[in-house]
Formats: sequence, structure tokens, C-alpha cells
Amino acid sequence: MITVTDITSSYGRKKILNGVSFEALRGDCVGIVGANGCGKSTLLSILAGTLKPKSGSVLYYDREAWKDNGSGRMRGSLEVIRKMTGYVPQENPLIPELTVYDNLRLWYPDRKLLQQELEQGFLSLLGVGEFSEKQVSRLSGGMKKRVSIGIAMAGMPPVLLLDEPSAALDLVCKEDIRKYLQVYLERKGTVVITTHEESELDLCSKLYVMKDGRLKETDRELRGGALVAMF
Amino acid sequence: MRQKILYLYLEIRKTLGMVPRMFLQAILLMILIGAIAFCGVKSMEKKPLAVNVDIGIVVQEENAMTKMALAYIENMESVSQICSFRQVSEEEGTDLLTEGKLAALIVLPGQLVEGIMNGNNPEVKILFPENARLEAMLLRELTESGAGLLRVAQAQIYGVYDTAVEYGLTDRLSQMEMEIDSYNLAFALDRLALYETEMISATGRMSALQLYMSSGVVLFLLLSGMAVYPVVQQEPLAFRRQLKRQGTGKWWQCFCQWMCGFVCMVLCVVLSGGVVLLLKNAAATVIKNESGEKGLSTFVLSDGNSFLVTAPETGLAEKIGISLLVIATAATLIYFLYSIAQSKTGGILLIFLCSTVAVYLSGGLIPSPFLPKAMQAVGDRLPTAYMMRAVGGLLAGYEKGAMIRCVAGLCGYTVLSALGACLLRGKE
Repeated sequence: MITVTDITSSYGRKKILNGVSFEALRGDCVGIVGANGCGKSTLLSILAGTLKPKSGSVLYYDREAWKDNGSGRMRGSLEVIRKMTGYVPQENPLIPELTVYDNLRLWYPDRKLLQQELEQGFLSLLGVGEFSEKQVSRLSGGMKKRVSIGIAMAGMPPVLLLDEPSAALDLVCKEDIRKYLQVYLERKGTVVITTHEESELDLCSKLYVMKDGRLKETDRELRGGALVAMF
Repeated sequence: MRQKILYLYLEIRKTLGMVPRMFLQAILLMILIGAIAFCGVKSMEKKPLAVNVDIGIVVQEENAMTKMALAYIENMESVSQICSFRQVSEEEGTDLLTEGKLAALIVLPGQLVEGIMNGNNPEVKILFPENARLEAMLLRELTESGAGLLRVAQAQIYGVYDTAVEYGLTDRLSQMEMEIDSYNLAFALDRLALYETEMISATGRMSALQLYMSSGVVLFLLLSGMAVYPVVQQEPLAFRRQLKRQGTGKWWQCFCQWMCGFVCMVLCVVLSGGVVLLLKNAAATVIKNESGEKGLSTFVLSDGNSFLVTAPETGLAEKIGISLLVIATAATLIYFLYSIAQSKTGGILLIFLCSTVAVYLSGGLIPSPFLPKAMQAVGDRLPTAYMMRAVGGLLAGYEKGAMIRCVAGLCGYTVLSALGACLLRGKE
């Protein structure tokens, strides 16, 4: 379960997030949409622990990830965030000169576990095992994204944070990723996804529109012009 | 911690995969620098004195004796190398002297030889130009010191003559004159007794070859940085953030990349050194170290000649330590320059510019004494100067105190560059 309360964040004097709050339960998929630059990625970076909020709090399964220490300073627990979340940023967090297997090794320190995952775990579900010996620089965008999701899933975190996972991917890849997320949700994982893809919104149990630094819950069936009108 | 070690291991693995390509680039670079160093050494080789002193001679009365005396002076070995004489009229000679075409004009009076023989000693005039050039000034100094010697000798002869006459010792006069002559000749011919000898060298303790070898090594190290960009480049932001999320902070990330750059450069140096040794064994003539001095001897073939470079015996560990420190300083400087540039092209340009300018200011291309004072002062404090001193010390031997100062300087620059690079790379 994720509880996000009154998160604010700013770049210099510009306020990016202005009191963002939402909740997500086990098995929920929270979709966040909004115009470019509205703060979707900033929110996900805060949830993933790579950016510090100005105020507010974040709880993962009642464990404090970000909290105000009382003197107006935010304190984060990287350990909680690391254990509870897997993060798939827009850019792929990979070393291009190494093979897929070597990249995965960095996040799966246990070789046996990695082999197991490649053969019958989530990594095999993602199809990563088929190209694990290839150099990352020679992979297609879809393959790289699958590896990125595989990296985020190291340690099987209960929460998966995805920042526009389908951007610039072909239809086959988008469908593969969608299928994978479906399996993850069926296994009671929680997903927070920012996207511009309507097909991905079909997975969402909750849909939020981000505007002026705030989140507003909206009808999850809303699509096309009606949804864009809310941006 | 496990992930940190794993990250370092993977970065080093990535580096090792790139070494063959970088090694080839390093070899090309070495050939280029070798050619520059060779040209430098050639230009520093000792050449015969290029000074030519034109002296005009006015002979007021020409006869066989005068001709013989002139021919004798012209053909003296020490004179013929630097002086050329030409016979002129007094008027012509004065004009040439005024125009600066003659360094001196010697006017020989009539009856010169006869006058010397009969004791009249007619005056020989030596005229120098008013705005004398270096060779004319030198000639004047030598002439004055020579004239002084002659004056003393003449005074001795006259003094002895008068004394012998006064005390009735004329029968021993010829023996006394011979003794005075032999004393004066011995004094005049021992030229070293007349001048202070001070050995000066533009290249300091090192020979020209050692100087260019040390500057070549430093330039090679710095310029090989142009090939290590794939190793020391920053990983994608998303990757760095992911690592930070997992507890591997920017300091460790910087350390790992720096370490990879360092490993890469050590390998390039070792491999390039191996190639040099192979070439040396194939081409160089082996010379015995006749001095019997213990130490490293390297023979480099150059235009059929072999050079002997001898390093005094110091501890192997000390030598390896100094070498590694020099490489570490070079790796850190390169890492720092790439951090400033933040791009491959910018980094390569910056490395090329900074390296060549710094090595030039440090006296690696033209020895420091030939540079303006301000340049010398700046160049002396640059990291390249410390690196050159350290490498030069390994080649030519060093004093403990000087090397400690050098090592301290290298450590200081390494730490400063590393801090600067990490701070620059920490910015997102």
C-alpha cells in the first residue's frame, strides 16, 4: 500500500508539485497523465528516492519513505524505498558497453538467483534470457526497456514505478510490456505509471490527471479529447 | 558494499574490453611524440660554434716578414675556427668598422717585425666598433686580456734587463729572459687558469635526450587521455540515479571511473613500454655500461648513434611507486578535464590544448631557460613540471629532498583534480 500525502517540490522558485496526495492498494495500478513538464516525472523521482521533496510524506506499506523530521527538513529512508520499490526511469539505466547479463549482475548480486530469474522468473517472462549475452548497445529500444524493467524487478519489490515505459517503442513491445504488467498486477504488485499511451490506461484501476502541480482523480474510463480537456 | 565492489568490477571489465582499441591509438600517438622528441633532440645536439668574427688588417708596409707573421696568426687553430682576416686599406677598414661589418680593425705599422726585434716596439692599433656586437665585445675582452699579459711580460723583460745591468749580471741575462719567457708562456698557454669554468646546461641535470624523453612520456600520458574517453565518460543520468538509489553514491562512482582510467593508462604505458623494448632489442646496438655504474640502461638508436641513459640504482618499489604516481596524476588531470568539458569533443580539445601548453610552459618542448621569465615562473608550478621532474628523476637520478617535494606536488595536484572532478560530476 502506498500513501502519498501533501508532497511539494520546486526547482528554484518554480513550484512543480503543490500538495500531491494519493493512495494505492496492493494490486492497484495508478495511472498519472498530464501535459509535458507538468511534474509527473518529478513525482515518480520522489517516490523512487532519487529526488528529495520539499515537504509531505510517503509511506510504503506503513513504512516511512519520506517524512518531515519536525524542523522542516525532509528525511528519506533509502533502505525502505529500495526494498519496497522498483523504478523504471524514462532513460534506460544501462551500461551500453556491457552485455545484458553483466548489466543485470549489478542489480542481481546473487548469480544463482539471476540464473533462476532468467530461466523461469520474471526475466524469462520479459524474454530477457533470449538476448542476455548481447551487448546492450546492440539492442533495440524495446529490448532495452525490458532489461530496464528486469532491473527494476530485482529483489521483487511490491511497488513498481514506471515513467513513460512505452515511449518510442513499437506496438509489439508495448503489448509485451502491457502483458508483463498485467501478470505483475495479478500477483498483487502495485504499479504507479506515468504515460501518454491510452492502451496502458486500460490497466489502471485509478487514473489521476496532474495539473498545476496537483493530482486530480478522474474517471478511469475517460479517453481521448475528454481526458485531454482536463490537462 | 557488495554492489559497490561489483560496480567497480564491471567498470574494470568494461575498460579491459576497450584496451586493444585504446592501445592502438596510444601506439600512433607514441610514434607522433617519438618523432617530435627525435626532432627536439636533433635540434639540441652540439654544433660547431657558429660565430664568425671578421677582422680587417691594415698593413702599412708589406714585406716578407709581415706576410709570414700574418699567415702564422691566420693559421693558428684557435683563431682559424672563429676568425676570418681580410687585408684592407685604412680608409676602407674604418668604413667597414663603422658599418658594423668588421668586429675589429688591426693597423700594423711599417717596420713592425724589425721594430720588435730591435726593441723600438712600434705601436699596433686595434680599433673596435662603438656599437659592438657580442663577438666584437668578446674579441675586445680577449684582446685586452692578451695585451695585459704582453704588457706584464714586456715590463718583466725590461725590469730584468735594467737589474742585470745595474748589478753587473749581463752574462746571465739570456738565461733570465728565457726563464721569464717560459714562465709567461706556461701561464698564457694554460687557458683554464685565465678563465673561470662554469658548466651550464639549458636542460639542468638532464641531458637533452633525457629531457625530451621525460617530456615525451608526460605528453604521451596526457595525450593518451584523448583515447580513454569511453572509460571515464559519465554513465547515463538514469544509471547514476539508479546506482545512487541502491546506495552507490557519486564519490564511489567517480572513484570507479577514475580507477578505470588509471588502469587503462597503466596498461597502455606497460604495453607501449613493451613495444619500445622490443623495437630497441631489434634495432639498437648494445653498448656496455663502461662506467660500471649500476642502474637501468636504455639504448636508443638515433641516426646510427646509440645513446646511453643511465638511471642510478634506487629501490625498485620506489621507482614503481613514483611511476604509478605520475600515471595517477595524469589520469586524474584527464578525468578533471573531461569533467569540465562534459563532452567527448570538448574534452579531447581541452586535453590537447592544456597538455601542449602546459608541457611547453614547463620547458618540455623548449628548455625553460629559453622562455620568458613570467612563463618560467608559471610553468615551474604546473603539474606537468612536477611530472617531468619525476620522470626525469627516474631517468637521470634524483636527490631525495627534491623528489619528496616533487611527490608532494604530484599528490597535491592529484587530490585537487580529483575533488574538482567529483564536484563537477556531482551536479545533475
